[in-house]
Amino acid sequence: MFGWLCTYVPEEILHAAGALPIRITGYSKETELDDGNAYLYINTCSFSRSCLQLGLKGEYDFLDGVVGGSTCDGARRLFDLWRHYIGTPFYHVLTVPRKYTQPAHDLYHSQVKQFKTHLEEFLGIQITDESLYRSIVVYNESRNLLKRLYELRKFDTPPISGTETMEVLNTCFRMPKELFNEWLRSLLDELSIRENSHKSRARLMVVGSVMTNPEFIESIEELGGLVVTDELCTSTRYWSDPVVLDRNITPLQAISQRYLNNFPCARMFPSDERFNRILDLAREFRVDGVISQIVRYCVPYAHDLPLLTERLKGQGIPTLALDVEYGTPGSGQIRTRVQAFLEMLEAKRN
Amino acid sequence: MKALGIDAGSLTTKAVILGNDGILASCIVHSDDDVESSAKAAMEEVLNLAGVSFNNDLYTVSTGVGGKSVSFSHKKKTITTCLARGISYLVPSARTTIDMGAESSTVIKVNERGHIIDWVNHDKCAAGTGVFLQQMAKLMQMPVEEMSKLSLQAKSKADISGTCAVFAESEVISHVHRDPPTPKEEIIAGIHFSVVSRIISLCKRIGIERDVAVVGGVALNTGLVKIIEEELGFGILVPDRPQIVAALGAAVIARENMGKGAK
Amino acid sequence: MIVSQGKENKLNSIIRASRIISRMNQASPEARKSNTLYYQMMADYYTRLLEASKEGEFIAAHTVFFPAEILYAMDIVPMHTETTTWMIALFTGHSADMLSAGVELGLASEICTPHRGLAGAFALGVLPRPSVMLWSNLVCDNTAKSGELLMEINHCPGFFIDHPFQRSEDEEKYLVGELTDMIHFLEEQSGRKMDWDRLADIVALMDRQIELLREINELRKAIPTPFNPQGFLQLLTIDYLFPGRPEAIEYLETLRDELADRVKAGQGAVSPERFRLMSLFIPPMYLIGFLEKISQEYGAVSVTEPFFTYWGEGTLDPAKPLESVAKKSYMLPEMRMYGPLDERALNGIVNCAEQYRVDGAIYYADVGCRHTCATIKLFRDVLDRIDVPVLTLDCDVVDPTITSEEDVRNKLEQFFELLEDRQ
Repeated sequence: MFGWLCTYVPEEILHAAGALPIRITGYSKETELDDGNAYLYINTCSFSRSCLQLGLKGEYDFLDGVVGGSTCDGARRLFDLWRHYIGTPFYHVLTVPRKYTQPAHDLYHSQVKQFKTHLEEFLGIQITDESLYRSIVVYNESRNLLKRLYELRKFDTPPISGTETMEVLNTCFRMPKELFNEWLRSLLDELSIRENSHKSRARLMVVGSVMTNPEFIESIEELGGLVVTDELCTSTRYWSDPVVLDRNITPLQAISQRYLNNFPCARMFPSDERFNRILDLAREFRVDGVISQIVRYCVPYAHDLPLLTERLKGQGIPTLALDVEYGTPGSGQIRTRVQAFLEMLEAKRN
Repeated sequence: MKALGIDAGSLTTKAVILGNDGILASCIVHSDDDVESSAKAAMEEVLNLAGVSFNNDLYTVSTGVGGKSVSFSHKKKTITTCLARGISYLVPSARTTIDMGAESSTVIKVNERGHIIDWVNHDKCAAGTGVFLQQMAKLMQMPVEEMSKLSLQAKSKADISGTCAVFAESEVISHVHRDPPTPKEEIIAGIHFSVVSRIISLCKRIGIERDVAVVGGVALNTGLVKIIEEELGFGILVPDRPQIVAALGAAVIARENMGKGAK
Repeated sequence: MIVSQGKENKLNSIIRASRIISRMNQASPEARKSNTLYYQMMADYYTRLLEASKEGEFIAAHTVFFPAEILYAMDIVPMHTETTTWMIALFTGHSADMLSAGVELGLASEICTPHRGLAGAFALGVLPRPSVMLWSNLVCDNTAKSGELLMEINHCPGFFIDHPFQRSEDEEKYLVGELTDMIHFLEEQSGRKMDWDRLADIVALMDRQIELLREINELRKAIPTPFNPQGFLQLLTIDYLFPGRPEAIEYLETLRDELADRVKAGQGAVSPERFRLMSLFIPPMYLIGFLEKISQEYGAVSVTEPFFTYWGEGTLDPAKPLESVAKKSYMLPEMRMYGPLDERALNGIVNCAEQYRVDGAIYYADVGCRHTCATIKLFRDVLDRIDVPVLTLDCDVVDPTITSEEDVRNKLEQFFELLEDRQ
């Protein structure tokens, strides 16, 4: 079993190697992070502290390996400390370029190749093109199914809420993809006959980096705001883009291309790539307002916020900026601010 | 010659007289604005208690916030050094000492000779200090001591944010106003747990080594001490008069220096 | 977003202050000649910048750890944004304005003060408006993400250098590609061509510069150490502002000779030298004078700074100028903090401590600098292996409201007592 962090780690490779990829997501709830704070210090992003805490407590001892990308400061320090203090047998970090140029793609591809080789050496196996194709098919299926799920949320009164969607996504990270696909297929069948029921005071989009606690979305939806879409490392950024197969390229190249071009994380340059895709989502899902939940001390997303807010304003979409601890269920303060935001959106509508 | 240690704190001034066989006397007096006069008052009080006349040779070491302003002291030492010596004297097996002061918390690591190996402070914000507890006590409308006793009765604890005293305050308020309201003991247990988490986090930064001792005014808060023990998973030691440990340490240092013919 | 508020005055304050210090230094019999040179260099740098700003010349603003050699080779006037912001904060005491202007722009208050202050400084018009904004991802996310907002504030184009995380042939190739693209960008924007011969000369000087720094570091190993307690900050500024410049060579040669003389005479920077310290990261700038004083008082002196003055191995080849610029970026002392912190990187710190016979280390934990604070426990544990105690000083490099002088004094006193106890 291999733990992975960040949407820039090519999961298909782990799958093709016969490993079970498990996403490292730390505690799903806001917790006391004494070890996390002691090792990573209190001013590092709460997501990395949460992950490290779980790791130091031995909860990730079942992992045979961990894989990460040089994606952001929080992640790279998490990995530095992980390597030193938690003795997971296999450890690999990919250099992930911040650009989309051809040289960047070439570099990322060579990194992915290195990762594959390292994994093959560790497991004493060969990862064939055949197995890569098979894995791509399975993962594309998951992505397609999730896309269908999200399509349902485009309705005026969708059959599934934001909270429930988050729960589906959490399931996705913890199950073998084949099982997940089966389960999601039957869920979609169920939803197709479920009544479109969720009404709302406003259609919202939640943006930010990592979030896995459905209670947070619940606290928004309880107040009447319906979260119809999101832009998170644990949602659209994870599944949006399929691997595009092509006769002229190897499956490994197809994978590398997909992962670097993927729905952008705030670390990528230029930021407009991310902003444009967020604006597209906002349009497609007819979003009235955006709630930005930035995990405390997340630097890249915090830097993006002023420009993103401006771009959204340009499309007539107001933004509520929330600064949260990772795993927060949505405390008193947050509810108050969401309430005020919803009132403002309603007033705007009328 | 006798060894005198004075800890000139912002709220109280402590004094300890050390003889050949041990502590002769100790006292705590209220600090007023004039450090010098508070220190003199403490000295007079402790000499009285010890039955020692003023003519006796005294070697004095001062410490604390006002330590430098004590004109009659022969040497000035920082509070951390004094705490280390003091706890080592009272509890020789102590290796990790937690000082929970009013405005800041400190964790000190000492070796068997009472020398500091490492220490770490928490003084940038209120969470994890006596001030935080006082704030909370006001909110719960009861004295700090009563609050601590009540926390021991809780069957479970409310989730109170430990990150920031201001957030914690707003969360306590929302718990009180909830419908139905969260039971008082649970809120208090939650508050204490937050404070303890901060302390334990601090300890982990320099590593926890047994035995663990607690000093400072807040050490008298039995509820808090119990929660620390629960979190650590083992018992911790609280000396009888935890507020005088630094003054005692100063006296120990005074005695060490006496032998060197210093005057 | 720009409100012009007499920006010439702000730069002038740096120039004036530098000139005054330089003259005072010259007049003082005990002063180092290198000190005089240093302040003269600062005055000249900012005078050049001020002139360029007045004349509307092409100015390239760039972030820290950026290969300014390339700008010098193209005869483009550089503006080192972080250093300039710090200097202005120091000499005018206006850091609070710049920091809050940064927050007004929408930047979270947790964004580190150098970058927040920088954005605020541009927004307030305190810094000259650049023609282009150049930045890289060294050494943290804050730097990587700062450029786009600065481009918007200044309404100017920019270029981002993506420095790869690890070091391999592929990654170095990628970096050279990035530098090439940037040169094309600059040629287009400025209308000037890269002078490759000039770059080769600069690379040769840079190689000499690094060699001199290594010699100076060797001299600092002496007991007592010859270089004054906070002197390393001068070395840092030379790296930042004057890579491959003849005046930098002059300064370093002068300094090296001064230190060599002191070592021969057994003259230490502090007397008596009681505590040899390793400095981890930058002390609060606004407390430099105070730190110098307290160092003298306690006989404490910083003898080594692994992340600021300890260059990596290697030499630069003028025949391959661009590859050398790329190579140099990997040799920067700060790069120890950037790539993966493996055993080798950690052993480097331990070696440093042993070679310089340090008694203790001070970790300046800047409250906004996350990636350096995340290594506090790691470095403490690593230095613990050789029994070197570490003081963690929570502070901020620019914002004086985070830690007071009193607080710093108390912590340092306690630490010195701890070290004393051990001796």
